[in-house]
Amino acid sequence: MRGLLSKIVAEVLWPVLWFCLGLFVIMGLLTALLPKVLGNIHEVFDNMPLVKPLITALLGVDPGNQISAQLSQAFLWTHPTLLTLLWAHELMYCSRMPAGEIDRGTADFLLCQPVTRVQIFLAESIGWLVSGAVILSCGCAGHLLASGFVHPEMRLPFRSALLVLGNLAAVYLAVGGLAFLLSACSDRRGRAVGIVFAVLLLSFLLNFLAQFQEWAKSISWLSIMEYYRPAIVIQSGLFPTSDVQTLLGLAAFSWTTALVVFHRRSICTV
Amino acid sequence: MSVIETSGLTMSYGARRGIQDVSLQIEAGEIFGFLGPNGAGKSTTIRILMGLLRASAGRACIFGMDCWKSGALIRRDVGYVAGDVRLYPWLTLNRGLKILSQIHGRSLQSEGRQLAERFRLEPDLSVRKMSRGNRQKVALVLALATRPWLLILDEPTSGLDPLIQDTLMVCLRDLAAEGRTILFSSHTLSEVESLCDRIAMIRGGRIVEYDSLTSLKARAPRRIQILLSPDQVPPAEWPDGVRVLWQPQQSGGQPSTQRDLLSIPPGLLSQTCLLEVTGQSSEFLKWIAGQEFADVTIGAPSLDILFRGCYADDEDENRDAPAGDGTAIDTSAQSGAVT
Repeated sequence: MRGLLSKIVAEVLWPVLWFCLGLFVIMGLLTALLPKVLGNIHEVFDNMPLVKPLITALLGVDPGNQISAQLSQAFLWTHPTLLTLLWAHELMYCSRMPAGEIDRGTADFLLCQPVTRVQIFLAESIGWLVSGAVILSCGCAGHLLASGFVHPEMRLPFRSALLVLGNLAAVYLAVGGLAFLLSACSDRRGRAVGIVFAVLLLSFLLNFLAQFQEWAKSISWLSIMEYYRPAIVIQSGLFPTSDVQTLLGLAAFSWTTALVVFHRRSICTV
Repeated sequence: MSVIETSGLTMSYGARRGIQDVSLQIEAGEIFGFLGPNGAGKSTTIRILMGLLRASAGRACIFGMDCWKSGALIRRDVGYVAGDVRLYPWLTLNRGLKILSQIHGRSLQSEGRQLAERFRLEPDLSVRKMSRGNRQKVALVLALATRPWLLILDEPTSGLDPLIQDTLMVCLRDLAAEGRTILFSSHTLSEVESLCDRIAMIRGGRIVEYDSLTSLKARAPRRIQILLSPDQVPPAEWPDGVRVLWQPQQSGGQPSTQRDLLSIPPGLLSQTCLLEVTGQSSEFLKWIAGQEFADVTIGAPSLDILFRGCYADDEDENRDAPAGDGTAIDTSAQSGAVT
């Protein structure tokens, strides 16, 4: 297992460090700037009516005409830049093996070493969990650091930040599990990444459409974003147990299926 | 117990042809040649042995263990170099040795360093900066550094310069002398002829030849090239057992493959006869001693001819009419005899 972990570190260390830095900076900037920007949001709503449903879709609640301090912090945790960085890391990481390895032909080298496929998959999963934890921690650190420069009334209580972080970590696991599953079923990395990307995009779209369309509302439970609503978590101050359970269930199912598929499938690089 | 044993191994890629009923037995200390043209099924067989592919029927065992079920255990003692070597761009030889040392649970650095010197390889150069030949060398050194009891090499000399090819051959002979087994897949006949004890030829996913090199050579034909004097005509009759591939100034017969005539200089086509003799050639030598030819060249029994005979059907599309004035007989008729 040590050899496999060394190989993973050699492969993903620099990208992960860049993602950490990126998330640290973005979260810091957003924490410091969002309260100022969102203070005048009613003018944006007046001039650009489509922005409001978009923010509603992101937050999961209607912000009204003014965004409160709490909601502005909730917007931080659903900001597209944060989610894009996090998911970009996941798509990069989880599609590497086996789809990426098969695609570039290195699967022959890896799978012909004296290790089982289960060991390879477990090592990859450890890397995925550790890198996710490190990246999320960096984002959180950026947020906490920047909070020091924000007016105390605009600050998000530490406990609420942890609750949202827990929910975000569950999203991370669900998306990663899905990416692993598609990677295990595919011989082409681009195809696996494309499908997961499409699923995430559809999740956003469904959440957005659910604001206007009844049919979209009736199937919005299919969207991953339906289970990530920081605004509600911040407002209620309660841990979103059922949302997290759903996301973890999806993650566990996808990850286990990916392991079984990878364990049983033939690998053909030619 | 055989080191490698397959029986009735079958695998198909959907509609595409894979392998069918491949049965092999390779013993310890043997250098076994696995021959076949591109797409014949060599790599598929090897990939089943390495546990990358799951056979749809039949059995594949290494060291008596099932290749699919006990792959990781088997691979502790197996070194493998893939046909089309692809390595991580960030990999250096030293880094590869470090990772493999951790996987194998013992240091491979010293062995790897010696091999790197032998193969003239820079240990700290990353794969992304390497030529194809050097990447091949990295794969070979990493496979050899573990000192495996079975080495499976799928066209290992591709991209290597002749000097390094020689170094590899010496390495492989040394390993075989220590009782290690080598499965050497190639379509370069000369290396197989110089290295292997036994060979199997695969065609269209089926084994068509499976014998020792000595037996195959005994069955392999010799090529005989007879140069006639400028005004001399070929003999009206040739001795029994002689196949005439080409002779000048006659009409009729089937055209030969163009390749048969490549050994004859174009200017001498009109005064050269090309024959093929299989088995004992003493009678033919007696007969030829009584003739007055300008020159006679007798080749060694050639695996190349046998190989081409085996794959003649695959080469039909290459068949072409001879360029000179004369007759040649199609060698593809021979393929039925050897298959």
